[in-house]
Amino acid sequence: MNRVRVSLKQLLWLGLLGVVLILFGLGPRYAPMYTIILLTAIFMYIILTLSWVIFSGPTGYVSLAPAAFFGVGIYTSAILGKALPLLIVVAVGGLASSCLALFAGGLTLRLKGIYFAIFTFGLVELIKNLLLWWEIHFTGTRGRFVIVVDYATVYYVMFAILVVLILTAYLIRRSKFGLALQSIGDNEQAAAHIGINVTALKVVTFAVSAFFTGAAGAIMATRWTYIDPYIAFNPLFSFMPVLMAIFGGLGQFYGPIIGATIFGYLEELLITRFPYYYMLLFGTIMVVAILYLPNGLVGLIQKVTARLRVLARSQPAPAATSEAK
Amino acid sequence: MIQVLDVVIAGLLLGGLYALIAMGLSLQYGVARVLNVSHGEFIMLGGMTTWMLYSGFHINPLLAVAICGPGAFLLGFILHRTMFKRLLALSASPGIFESNSMLASFGLLFIIQNIAFMIWGPEIRGYSYLAFPVDLGGALFGANRLVTLGFAIAIGLAFYTFLARTRMGKAIRAAAQDPVTAGLLGVDINLVLALCFGFGAAMASIAGVLISISYPVNATMGLEYTIIAIIVVVLGGLGSIPGSFIGGFVLGIVGSIVTSIEPGLALVAYYVIFMLLLLVKPTGILGR
Amino acid sequence: MSENGSTELAESENKKEERMSTKHLTRREFIRGAALTGAGLVVAACAPAPTPPPPQVVKETVVVAGTPQIVEKIITPTPVPTAVPTKAAVKDKIVVGMSRPLSGPLAQIGDSAFKPIYETWVKEVNDAGGIQVKELNKKLPIELKVYDDKSDVGTMTRLTEKLIVEDKVDFLWPGCGTSFIFAQAPIANKYGYVLVTAEGGATSIKDMLPSLPYVFVTLSFSDWYQLPVFADLMAEKGAKTAFIAYIADLHGIEYSGVAGIEFPKKGINILGVKSLPPDIKDLSPVIKEAKASNADIFCCFAYPDQIMPATGTSMELGYNPKAWLGGPGVNFGFYATTFGPAIEGVMGFTTFSAKQSATAKALADKLYTGKPRELQDWWGHPLYWAGLEMWKQAIEKAGTLNQEKIRDVLTKEHFNTVLGDTWFVNGLLAKESHTGEIGQWQKDQFEVVGPKNKATAALVYPKPAWPTK
Repeated sequence: MNRVRVSLKQLLWLGLLGVVLILFGLGPRYAPMYTIILLTAIFMYIILTLSWVIFSGPTGYVSLAPAAFFGVGIYTSAILGKALPLLIVVAVGGLASSCLALFAGGLTLRLKGIYFAIFTFGLVELIKNLLLWWEIHFTGTRGRFVIVVDYATVYYVMFAILVVLILTAYLIRRSKFGLALQSIGDNEQAAAHIGINVTALKVVTFAVSAFFTGAAGAIMATRWTYIDPYIAFNPLFSFMPVLMAIFGGLGQFYGPIIGATIFGYLEELLITRFPYYYMLLFGTIMVVAILYLPNGLVGLIQKVTARLRVLARSQPAPAATSEAK
Repeated sequence: MIQVLDVVIAGLLLGGLYALIAMGLSLQYGVARVLNVSHGEFIMLGGMTTWMLYSGFHINPLLAVAICGPGAFLLGFILHRTMFKRLLALSASPGIFESNSMLASFGLLFIIQNIAFMIWGPEIRGYSYLAFPVDLGGALFGANRLVTLGFAIAIGLAFYTFLARTRMGKAIRAAAQDPVTAGLLGVDINLVLALCFGFGAAMASIAGVLISISYPVNATMGLEYTIIAIIVVVLGGLGSIPGSFIGGFVLGIVGSIVTSIEPGLALVAYYVIFMLLLLVKPTGILGR
Repeated sequence: MSENGSTELAESENKKEERMSTKHLTRREFIRGAALTGAGLVVAACAPAPTPPPPQVVKETVVVAGTPQIVEKIITPTPVPTAVPTKAAVKDKIVVGMSRPLSGPLAQIGDSAFKPIYETWVKEVNDAGGIQVKELNKKLPIELKVYDDKSDVGTMTRLTEKLIVEDKVDFLWPGCGTSFIFAQAPIANKYGYVLVTAEGGATSIKDMLPSLPYVFVTLSFSDWYQLPVFADLMAEKGAKTAFIAYIADLHGIEYSGVAGIEFPKKGINILGVKSLPPDIKDLSPVIKEAKASNADIFCCFAYPDQIMPATGTSMELGYNPKAWLGGPGVNFGFYATTFGPAIEGVMGFTTFSAKQSATAKALADKLYTGKPRELQDWWGHPLYWAGLEMWKQAIEKAGTLNQEKIRDVLTKEHFNTVLGDTWFVNGLLAKESHTGEIGQWQKDQFEVVGPKNKATAALVYPKPAWPTK
């Protein structure tokens, strides 16, 4: 790929990106308050999904630990929120989750596939129950209140985390690390043979992905006002990123992002417009999507764009640039 | 102090239920390769149906086994023939099939739970059956739990015999070991997979019937049993049906021991053991 | 995710092909993807609000003290719309918004506790034309707007804000559960919305209420005023010892804590305390220990999911203490339908009995006649109903839909409800208004046995033994 030549097309896309960023930045000033709140929630879903994809996408290790990292972030916010400034708390939340990931990742080096998934799931439940027992017998706390932060600040922080995450994900994917991760996913033994430090890479990537989940948890907790171990460590938050990622499609970079967005928006729609049938409709959509869109939304988009291209090509076009794809 | 035997037997009573639940999931995962997250929902269906039959029509719960079992089998069989078979065809690799089928079963969970809400409402339900003490050598146990244990063991043994002795059972074991070769040797793989899924669902449903005898039931009870089933299946060894059976009892006893010391740590103990096992011997007790 | 060796080579070839197209993620692709998604998000964001209203100046600079109290330092200028809309449209109904657990584990509570109450009550009010609002000089019917929060606190807070900020409902009715109240109360208070709670209530909320002038709690709980009454009853009958099993969460800790204070005051010694994890399946070790302790009283401070098995296990093991007290669960009709006459003598928490007065009987008839017995709730239902009555009367007395004025009325005045003379004291429903605290199943009726001056039957002590078939 010729990096030096900047085509008009690239400039246009870059411009669009800039406009989008500015629009989001101006959001709280001009958009209705609830839209911002909803966007914050959708950003959170995207962060959960994309950070999951950073590790589990290329390596193929399905992790069900997001709920644990999210919960750690939430608890950090609850415990430290009153003592430290907000951004520090968010960063500490992310770091604490990373530490958990380093620890757990280090333990599970040899576990593969389904065992890894189940282990990470067990981690969530273990932490939840242990924390509950500890709080009852040692600290005597009965739930914690989280500091209240105004919605615009939460929005900006979440957006910032998202942007950094997207950049990180992109850089990882484009770099040698991404390549190495992919090769681990294909054939771990071969990867080890060609000199990749499989262990270190897996654990570090796991920790990186955990950081964003934890940070998101730390900032989101301020919207929840009140938390306890059961609220903070909810296994559903482990399944959701997996669902959203596969729903969106793992083939392309933007797959998880689209998956999470549609998922989040769909959920909002269902719980407000069809409150008594939310689960039924949601489940049906999921099943239909899995059955008919095996490659997720990305697959659908690719099919549609391919068909559009065929249509475009079938019309007499002057000197069309050959899109060899 | 509570006698050791007391604790062990209490553990066995609970373990019987666990074993039954786990066997069903083991069949579905071990053979059909579907990690059925909605397994607990079939348990719930069994339990709720029994409640409905008992409180509405005064049908003996043990008789309900004969109704719920085959009913669930049919449901599971049809689901596999329609949904999972298609997924199998679509999936590029076994790994992809596993994750896709897990997600599909997740969707199924939502659907079944909502339908249960619509039929029965989310309220908690219960009934009392055989709730009187039985004296076993000085220690007291609930009659209902003893009956449950008896049933669980009976079904377990029956199924084990089915697997070991009958032709269909052998076909299932063959398919579990190596689907491709089994297919080459004349086993109708699609039928076997669907049958296994059906059997798994049936066992879950029967477990639900038995659970409802001793515990309250409600439409959201499924997920926690699914989790226990997963723990036991891994404990016993993924893909090993006898392993799940034994694993259920082991977990029951462990739970009983910990509960008698410090109930708050029972679940913590489950997970600690579970995770230790994964690290030390992931293939479980009888895994291959 | 395991692959057979023979097919591995073929698969890796296929995968390589796949990867070739995905790995070379060009900058172009990335930017295109990001821009697409961004544009999509923007479109999505614009969709629900086609005409963005003028910026809402809601300066929420809230400062929190060290304790779980939320104190507002800077009072915001007019938060969200109070009552009369600025549009020219004529106000013809009162819109009440609620975020309820319609799915998920809490659905079982919400569905049987507040839901039957508000459905019956709203229908009754609307059949009579609605609520009289003096300032508009007419009666306005109530329209309900219910959202499903999936039993998730985060979703509940978001939906509450949606109801207030986007849907601009006139009033807010409560979410379900104590932890949900804790999360929702500060929000309602911040926006100046009156919140009369239904399910949920805990000692710790007493500390919060002074800083939450808009929040009113109706449900009775441990030290308001159940356990002191219970301890009195027990002491009078000569009970000397107790064994407590409590669920390991806010509710259980509170009750066991309060019992720890009230029981010794009346000379009752606590011999053992066991905490139950919420997912506990087998209670027999705990029951066996209780049995071994030989305590006069057995207390199970938990939820139906634990109380039902606890009862069943007590029966199975032949555990017959002189008094058996159970928390939420015993007071519901399904307790009787599940266990039948075996529950004779079991004690629980209650608020009323149809025997107490004509109004009580009328309420019981209204709610329960012709419906399955499981739906009966002798503890919470009358309190929620009374709460709604007070809310309505406050609107009528204030003559306006203005939250602040209604709040003032609720804080200061007395109301005539199904409980009799009812009022709030410091945000809590006055305990003097409670028409009962402790109940006991006697001959298939949940009688009020305490406090004595409100009782419908005398306490039976010791409890008759469980029947053995």
